[in-house]
Amino acid sequence: MRKHSSVAILAILATLALVISACTSPSPGASGSAATANGLCRPIGDATAEETEAPETAPPGSSDLKIGLVTDVGTLDDRNFNQYSWEGALRGAAIVGAAEPQSIVTTESSEYENNIQSFVDEDYDIIVTVGFALGEATLAAAEENPDIHFIGVDQFQAGDDPVAGAGLDNYESLIFNEAQAGYLAGIVAASISESGEIAAIGGSGTIPPVVNYMRGYENGAKSVNPDATVHLKYISDDLAVAFNDPTAGKTFADQFIQQNADVDVLFQVAGKTGNGVLQSVTDAGIYGIGVDVDQWLSNPDSAECTVTSAEKKLTLAVSEGIAAVGDDSPRAGNVFYGADNDGIGLAPFYQFADLIDAETQSAIDEALASMASGDLDPCQPSGLCYAGEADPGT
Amino acid sequence: MVRLGILPAMAILLALVVGALVMIASSPLVRGSLDLGLPLTAYGALLSGSFGSVDAIINTLVQATPLILAGLAVGIGFKAGLFNIGAQGQFLMGGLAAAAVGVATAGLPPIAAIPLALLAGVAAGFAYGFIPGFLKAFTGAHEVVTTIMLNYVAIQIIAYVVSGPLRGENVSFARTETITSAALPVLAGRNGHIGIAFALVAVPIIAWLLFRSTLGFEIRTVGANPEAARYAGMRPRLLTILTMAISGLLAGLAGATVILGTVGHIPAAYATGVGFDAIAVALLGRSHPVGILFAGLLFGAMRAGSGLMQIQAGIPVQMVNVLQAVILFFLTAELIVRYLFRVRAESAEISELKTITSSYGTGQAVK
Repeated sequence: MRKHSSVAILAILATLALVISACTSPSPGASGSAATANGLCRPIGDATAEETEAPETAPPGSSDLKIGLVTDVGTLDDRNFNQYSWEGALRGAAIVGAAEPQSIVTTESSEYENNIQSFVDEDYDIIVTVGFALGEATLAAAEENPDIHFIGVDQFQAGDDPVAGAGLDNYESLIFNEAQAGYLAGIVAASISESGEIAAIGGSGTIPPVVNYMRGYENGAKSVNPDATVHLKYISDDLAVAFNDPTAGKTFADQFIQQNADVDVLFQVAGKTGNGVLQSVTDAGIYGIGVDVDQWLSNPDSAECTVTSAEKKLTLAVSEGIAAVGDDSPRAGNVFYGADNDGIGLAPFYQFADLIDAETQSAIDEALASMASGDLDPCQPSGLCYAGEADPGT
Repeated sequence: MVRLGILPAMAILLALVVGALVMIASSPLVRGSLDLGLPLTAYGALLSGSFGSVDAIINTLVQATPLILAGLAVGIGFKAGLFNIGAQGQFLMGGLAAAAVGVATAGLPPIAAIPLALLAGVAAGFAYGFIPGFLKAFTGAHEVVTTIMLNYVAIQIIAYVVSGPLRGENVSFARTETITSAALPVLAGRNGHIGIAFALVAVPIIAWLLFRSTLGFEIRTVGANPEAARYAGMRPRLLTILTMAISGLLAGLAGATVILGTVGHIPAAYATGVGFDAIAVALLGRSHPVGILFAGLLFGAMRAGSGLMQIQAGIPVQMVNVLQAVILFFLTAELIVRYLFRVRAESAEISELKTITSSYGTGQAVK
């Protein structure tokens, strides 16, 4: 009898230990914290992030808005797309003084509708859905529930008018001009490359924003160095591998770097998988460029090789959408974020600031200005971007 | 029958206990302080999200449908001593074929379009299961290896076909056109499509096939002892091919019901875990069709309730994976459970666990 119960406790403890150890993610390689960086990389030194201006917030409890967020397949703490949208929801909730938002992480492509419906059933007032793949489910839910405000990240609404989109009062889509952000990254890459051979590694070629980033990158690079060799590679069409698998990203990038030894700048466009690409960049000692968010901050393991990041201001856009609802002036249709409203841009260069000479800086500024005015199409000349992703003015 | 269910039931119970401990241990992160009531909140939400209302029950059935069908696929393989890890690929190919035919038959009335699209899905699954069966029977290529590899092939085929020839017009990302007349009619609630009935009907059919038909007897005999089967005049090669093909057929049907009944199109990159969860379902159901029915319902309920669990308890969806994993852990660590609950060992039956443990390293051609 006694023997049995001790075995029982042992068994449960052993299982628990297994489970808990499975929960904690493996710590990154030691290369990130090495005192001297290898190759082109540089120790972070005393570079620090600028203080971001804290938004004006209402006292908690001053709004009874219930805010929910549904992600695409992936995880909430991807240090990337989902996470920064989530932080936008948190910030938005703080601005309007609402309770902390809740989230549902999608695990299966067939589940978008159900996950949105879960929030509807629980009487939520604002539902943020992250990713273009949720667009149709969000549109359908918005039509069905006119009293709930929907915010779709990356969900272009087709319609007669590109700004009005689907024409619903309660559905706003946040559309970022990835091609513009990619274009700026391309200018930086071609300028700092010594070999004239640069690359971008994307998650999957079936995902419009990924392709747009990469097209812009190529065009931007060619604009400062027409002879530059720009490799554009895609990791996998299996979404889980393409965006949620840093190990796969590292393996892919390792092989790529091995086979293309002259490449000295690598731009990752692969979400969490891309964090593995940056790890590989760090190991190889070449320049890396992050994507979507400031990865110098979000992915400190590779910060010493991350020159900059092509940013979409997700947190800003989501929080503005929520704040507008709090002000009783909800937005609708396609809301564009691009060069003209600081919706995209480059992250700071931190310890690499002196790498960006005056010429490069002025190329960046000029491109930014002419993209803002609509004179420069980042999708040209190498080909059109996916429909709906380009600024309507261009 | 009842005896067979004891071990799985105990494994589920233990998993709930371990899950509760994990939730309590992680509650400082979720709630800010140690919260002994968190497991109750979480399990309560899981329960009300899966059985708390008519809509919830229908949703559980919808979630369970592909798991039951794919679980039967894996289970029938186990009965023949085959470990079909390729349910995932067969599921995807079934979904792709159903979507392709579903789009092509948009001009036909539903009464014709639905059977055609379903048939396409079933046929694609059958063919995709046939390949590893054939390779195993005639070259000795182990089905574990070939089916895993074919899963990746399926993903790439879909990506190619859907971003190329099958890509719909006027859609903002790579996916097929929306399936119209071949879409499975919704009979109950918000999403209770007729595909649920396929799973419920498949269970007795597969039970009959396995336990009442000559083919089933032969399948089980080959699984138990291929030498004896051959001595008795059965043809292990043919049976290997046939079992894998039937297995693929069921997984293909699962894919077709999800695409035609829930999604309405197939995207170039379709994320799913059905094919792998099906292995867990088959193990938990001990490869018996009725057991698979209940296991599928359990896993379906967990999927259906996970949304509410995330909203109400703030527990991440990974908790469901933890529960499933711990159930499997205790199922495979059979001895621990027997010891804990003093359940005596069953009589020698064809054990699906034995198939898994013995299927590695026996890569010889079926003679």
